[in-house]
Amino acid sequence: MIPGDKSKASANPTKAFFVRMITRDITLEDCIFDLIDNSIDGAWELAGGRPMSLADDTDLSAYKISIEIKPDRFSIHDNCGGISLDDAANYAFTFGRKDDAETENFSIGVYGIGMKRAVFKIGSKIGIKSTFTDNGGLMSFRVPVDVNAWLAAGDGNWDFDIEGADNLAAPGVQIDVTDLNEAAAQSFESPRFIQDLRRAIARDYALHLHRGLTIEVEGKSINGWAIELRQGGEFSPMRASFEENIEGEKVYVEVLAGMEAIPPEDSDPDGDWDEDQNRSGWYVVCNGRIVLAADKTTLTGWGTESWPIWHPQYTGFMGLIIFSSRRADLLPLTTTKRSVDATSQLYRRYRPNMREPSKAWIAYTNARRQRERDEVVGQEQEAKSVPIYEVAAQPAVVLPQVATKKRVPEANVLYSVPKPRLLKLATAMGNIRMPYKEVGLQSFEYAYADLVGED
Amino acid sequence: MASFDSINYSLRPSKSVQRGIVFHGLKALSDAMALQNSLYIGFGSIWFTDFVMAHKALEIDEMISIEANDVGFRRAEFNKVYRSISVVEGRSEDKLPELLNQGEYQARPWIVWLDYDGALDEEKVEEMRWLLLNAPPNSIVLFTFSATQNAYGKPAQRPGRVADILGPVVPDELSREDCNQENLPQTLASLTMDFLSSVVADNARPGGFIRSFKIPYFDSVGMVTVGGVLPALGTAPAARAVIADHKWQGIVDEMIQAPPMTLKEVATLQAELPCLEDLTRARVQELGFDLLEHQIRSFQRYYKYLPNFAEIVS
Repeated sequence: MIPGDKSKASANPTKAFFVRMITRDITLEDCIFDLIDNSIDGAWELAGGRPMSLADDTDLSAYKISIEIKPDRFSIHDNCGGISLDDAANYAFTFGRKDDAETENFSIGVYGIGMKRAVFKIGSKIGIKSTFTDNGGLMSFRVPVDVNAWLAAGDGNWDFDIEGADNLAAPGVQIDVTDLNEAAAQSFESPRFIQDLRRAIARDYALHLHRGLTIEVEGKSINGWAIELRQGGEFSPMRASFEENIEGEKVYVEVLAGMEAIPPEDSDPDGDWDEDQNRSGWYVVCNGRIVLAADKTTLTGWGTESWPIWHPQYTGFMGLIIFSSRRADLLPLTTTKRSVDATSQLYRRYRPNMREPSKAWIAYTNARRQRERDEVVGQEQEAKSVPIYEVAAQPAVVLPQVATKKRVPEANVLYSVPKPRLLKLATAMGNIRMPYKEVGLQSFEYAYADLVGED
Repeated sequence: MASFDSINYSLRPSKSVQRGIVFHGLKALSDAMALQNSLYIGFGSIWFTDFVMAHKALEIDEMISIEANDVGFRRAEFNKVYRSISVVEGRSEDKLPELLNQGEYQARPWIVWLDYDGALDEEKVEEMRWLLLNAPPNSIVLFTFSATQNAYGKPAQRPGRVADILGPVVPDELSREDCNQENLPQTLASLTMDFLSSVVADNARPGGFIRSFKIPYFDSVGMVTVGGVLPALGTAPAARAVIADHKWQGIVDEMIQAPPMTLKEVATLQAELPCLEDLTRARVQELGFDLLEHQIRSFQRYYKYLPNFAEIVS
C-alpha cells in the first residue's frame, strides 16, 4: 500500500536547472546568436513576415543590431520593434513556449528558451529594456533580473518584476548583462573570440545581411558572406523548389548545389591544408538562419549508405537546403540552432535531394583525376561565380562529362624539410605563402632544367 | 647573423628608449607585486645590457641567459657581468621547459624577455604560447621581434602571411595598407598583443593576462616589443592598478624614432626640458639647428631614456 503522501513523484522543475544545467548545452557564441535571432524575428515581423526564400526581396536596411562586448559587461540593443508589455507579462519570460503563444511569422526563435538561457550563460545581473509602439505612442518597461537573488528566493515564485522605464531612441530592445560569469568574462577578454564571433555572424546571418540588415560588433558593421556557386561553360548549379504541407501549414524547401570553388590539385591535403578555411560542404538554413555550415559529416549524408565519407578531393562542392515556414517548430532545427534534428521527418525526406548532387560531384572529382590537369582546370575556370540569389532553376546539377583518357604514368615525390627553410625558399621564389606542393614542383623544374635540360 | 656579430645594440637610441620604458615599467610592477625574488631570463648575448638593468633597477640577483650559438655561448660565459648570471647553451624552446622542470624555479615569478633577432614566425608564436601557459604565477613576459616588411613577404602576401602566423585574431579585412612599411610595426604590435590576450583567455589561465607593453620603435628597421603580466589571482588588482595609472608609459601609440643626435644638440635641447608645452620646430630652429616634428616629439617624450655615451673621434 502506497502511503498517501508518497502517491505522487515530484516532477517540478527547479530554477537552478535552468540557470546552471541547460546553459551547459550551448556555447557562448550560440547564446549571443539566440539574442540576435530574437532581434531579427522582430525586424522580420515588422518587414512583412514572409517566407525567407532566396527570391524574397524583403528590405531590412532600416534595422540595426549592435553588440558590445567588454571584459566586464555585455550588451545588445536593436531597433527591431521591441517586446510588447503583454508579451513580456505573458510569454517572453516564460521558460518554454506556452501552447497559446501566438506564432511569429517565419521566426527563428521557437522554443521559448533562447533569451533566458543566453543571459543566464553570460552573467548574473541582467537588465532587459523594451520600447514598443502602443496605440500610436511609445511605451517602455524594464525587467531587472538579479539571478542570485532570484535563485535564493526559492522555487515557489518564478516571476520577474516589470518596471517602468524611459524610452529607448527607437522601438526595440536593449539587454545589458554585468557581473559576468567567469567563462564569459574570459572569452570576452579574448580578441580571438570576438573575431571568430564576427566571422560566424558574417556566415550564419548572410541571408539577412544580404537584405540590408546591419549587425555591429564593437561598433564595426559586419559584411555578410557572399555565397556563390560557379556557373558557365559546362557547369550549372541545381536549384529546385518544393512545397510541403505539414499539420495544415506550408513548409517551403529550396535545394541549391554545385561547384563553389575549383577543386584542389590532388586528393592529398598538403601540410598547409587548413580545413577550417574550407567552405565546401552542405549548409542547412531554417527561416533564413544558417544552422549548419560547411558540413561534411553523416548529418548531411556523407559516410551514410551509398554515400562516401567526406574526402578533401571533394573540396569545391557546396550545397544549400533552405527550409522556411510560418511555424518554425516544423523546421528541423535544434534548440541551440547550431545543428539539424536528424530525426526530423521533413529533413530525412529531403536527404535524397541532397544525395544526388553530392554523388554527381563525387563522380566528377573521381573522373577529373584521370584527365590532364590543365585541360580540366581550363574548363572549370570558364565557370564564373554567381550569387546564389541569381542561380536559375535547374532540376539537377550539370557537370562536364569527363571521359577517362590515358595519361603518362606519374610518380609522386614526397619529402619533408624544416618549415623555416621552405618559407625561405618560397620567399626566394617570390611568394612566402606559396603552397608547399608548388614549392616542390618549382624546385623539381629548376633542378630538371639545370641537370637534365630540355626534354 | 647572431646578435653578437652585429652592432652593440645598447648604442641604438630608440632601443635605449624602449629598454628604458620597459625597465621603468618593470620597476613599478615589481614594487607593486613584490617581484624582487624573480628569476630574470633573457638573451643576454655578450653585452648583457638588460641583465645589468634587471640587477640594478629591479634588484634581481638570479639571472639566466640563453645562448644558442656555441661561439656565442663561450663569449657570453667570458663576458657575463655578474657571477649570479648563468649562461645556458641551447635554444630557448628547449631550455625554458627544462628550467620549469627545476623545482627551484617553479615556485618563483619569472621575468622573461625574449628579445629575438628576427621577424615573427610560427616558431616564435609557439614559444610565446608555451610561456603564456606555463610561466609561474606573477610572471612578466616580453617579446621583441623585427617588423621589417620584407620579412613578411611581398605587399600582396603580407596580410595573409600575418594571418598564417597569428591565426584567427587577425581580422579578415586586414589590408595591404595595414602591412606597409609605415604601419606594419603598429599592426604587428596590436595583433600580437591580441594573440597573447587570446591565448591566456581561451585557456582560462587563472589571473588572466594584463596587457602592459606595446612598443613599436625604429632603429634602421622597425621593431616591436609586446608583453604583459601573468598575475596570480590575488595580485591581479595591484598589477592592473599600475597599468591603469596615467603615468604608465608601456603602451606606446606612436612609433618611437629617437633621432641620432650630437652631444651638443642633446645638451642644447635638454636645457629646455622638462617643460609643459610641446617643443616646437621653430624653437629648435631658434636654438640654431633643426629636427623633424616626430623627432622632436620623440626627444621630448623620451629624453630621459636616451643613452649616455659619446663616440670619441680622434
